[in-house]
Amino acid sequence: MSTVVSDDGILLPAASRPFLVEIDGHYVWSLTPERDGVRQLGGVLVPWPGVLRPYLSGRGRVRVTDTTGAEVLYDAEVGLGAGDGPLAVVDRAGNRLCVDKVGHLTRSFEATAEEVREEIMAGTRRAIDDLREHAGVKAYLNYGALLGAIREGRMLAHDSDTDLCYLSDHTSPADIITESYRISRAMRARGWNLLRMSGGDIKLLLPLSDGRLCHIDVFVAFHVGDTFFQLGNRSGDLPRSAIEPFSTIELHGHEFPAPRDPEAMLAFLYGLDWRTPDPSFRYADPPAGVRRLDGWLRGFRAEMGLWTGFVTGPDVRSVPRGPSPFARWVAPQLGELPVLDVGTGTGRDALWFARRGHRTGAVDFSRAAVTMVRRKAARHGVDVDADQLILGELRSTLLHGTRLARDPHHLYARQLIGCLDDPALDQLWRLARMALRPGGGRLFLEFSATHDGPDGAAGTPLAPEGLVRRVDPARVQAAIEAAGGVVEELVVVPGEDLLGGDDPAICRIRAAWPARNTKDDR
Amino acid sequence: MSTHDLRTRVREQAKHRLPAPVVDRIRARASLRERVRVLEAEAQESRQLNRRIAELTDVVAELLIPLDARDQDRVDEVLARYQQGL
Repeated sequence: MSTVVSDDGILLPAASRPFLVEIDGHYVWSLTPERDGVRQLGGVLVPWPGVLRPYLSGRGRVRVTDTTGAEVLYDAEVGLGAGDGPLAVVDRAGNRLCVDKVGHLTRSFEATAEEVREEIMAGTRRAIDDLREHAGVKAYLNYGALLGAIREGRMLAHDSDTDLCYLSDHTSPADIITESYRISRAMRARGWNLLRMSGGDIKLLLPLSDGRLCHIDVFVAFHVGDTFFQLGNRSGDLPRSAIEPFSTIELHGHEFPAPRDPEAMLAFLYGLDWRTPDPSFRYADPPAGVRRLDGWLRGFRAEMGLWTGFVTGPDVRSVPRGPSPFARWVAPQLGELPVLDVGTGTGRDALWFARRGHRTGAVDFSRAAVTMVRRKAARHGVDVDADQLILGELRSTLLHGTRLARDPHHLYARQLIGCLDDPALDQLWRLARMALRPGGGRLFLEFSATHDGPDGAAGTPLAPEGLVRRVDPARVQAAIEAAGGVVEELVVVPGEDLLGGDDPAICRIRAAWPARNTKDDR
Repeated sequence: MSTHDLRTRVREQAKHRLPAPVVDRIRARASLRERVRVLEAEAQESRQLNRRIAELTDVVAELLIPLDARDQDRVDEVLARYQQGL
């Protein structure tokens, strides 16, 4: 049978070995048909990964080979999607991207020059030293970098970052998270730019001379009872004695601390076949371990990566420029108080408020969105104070709430409610209570509402990519009132969705949080 | 009669032919499955308290105690430093 490449995915013969996919002459993805696909007439259809889909519009050469490149299943020019431009998986700066082993889009080390690799090695070494001397934890090289060092004596092709782990002495997840907060504070004080990925791992962003950022993941490892846990999502049996005291390994001329028994660690991570290269390898983590790690350490940034992917991807061009109809509805009600656009996205409304002379702040949980708004504000010469607010994180909410309690604003949130889970919604009401009680500002909300027509139910996914959901206005009103707010106005009218398309039902709410009386204060 | 109706009718007939103890065991098993599902959800809720405890500990230690000084310059400094460290 022949291999077929289409908008649906790649139809190829059933096989349980991996294949590599190149677009425009560059590696983008590896797949194993039996594991990743669905059997159908003619073979196995492996759907395109969601992260690649926004890039699959245009014409270009697609090549599917085995891992050695010797067996070519497909090599032809193909047209995908509705676009007629060249097909290429690149970021805005033109850097090539590929899908990594956990399904994220990332840059590949494949094309990394020797001097840049040297910067990565030196930066990783500096991170280990800073972690030991300033954050008080001893880190060891792990995952791909360890595998490359032990198996091949060099970094693996297609690997895009280096991974460090430290073995915590704590056994209570709350203590492990507190320790991780302390580590990020210490590393920031050392000048590292970093992202928090969960309660137990941070990503150090190392700027490289070729203009890109290398990611150095710093994962916690710990034991609870006899079970060993190591972020990403690993859990199982590995005694402390397999890790400490550390051994030393050499990678590209640099010495790194490594687990005492690196082979035992690699077997724990990659299975007993770890000596055989498999670019499409995926972890088979015990579900009970993943459930525990999710419950203990995660939950505050579940869709952050998808929003960042949207903001930095090609689909963001679909968001209209200029003020939304809701911004025009709100503007005459603002008076003298400044306004904070919560979940600002591309910043279209925040920038417009600022241009009209309102003191304006803008917050979003995606750092990419915050960067975009800052850049636009600078370009247009308007003053928008843009910052990150993670409503899933109590720390972040309390910080902004404390500031706003001392510097009263209105809160403005368009198409935010439908993006939040219940814990994040609770934090939004907490923020509103802290921010609006002292100064008398208002909360202005607009969201896609439930309605009686088709696709009108609560939770119905909407553009972009189902990241916005329809919400029942009565539930929002009840939640505001339960949090001490008063709904002053509520209307449901036809309007616009996030991408400017027609929406048969959008809800607009204006709510206030009256000052507490003595009884409430007790 | 549709396939679905037929399947439902056959199931109902089979149920009536089963001895009562067997029906009770099936019911008990279904109820156990539901109880396990609920227990798992509750266990997950408890696990999530770890992050809440850690966040509160962090806020109290790093923000609340310094803010108690009530000195606006000091408050601004503490807030800025806390944000940089998040």
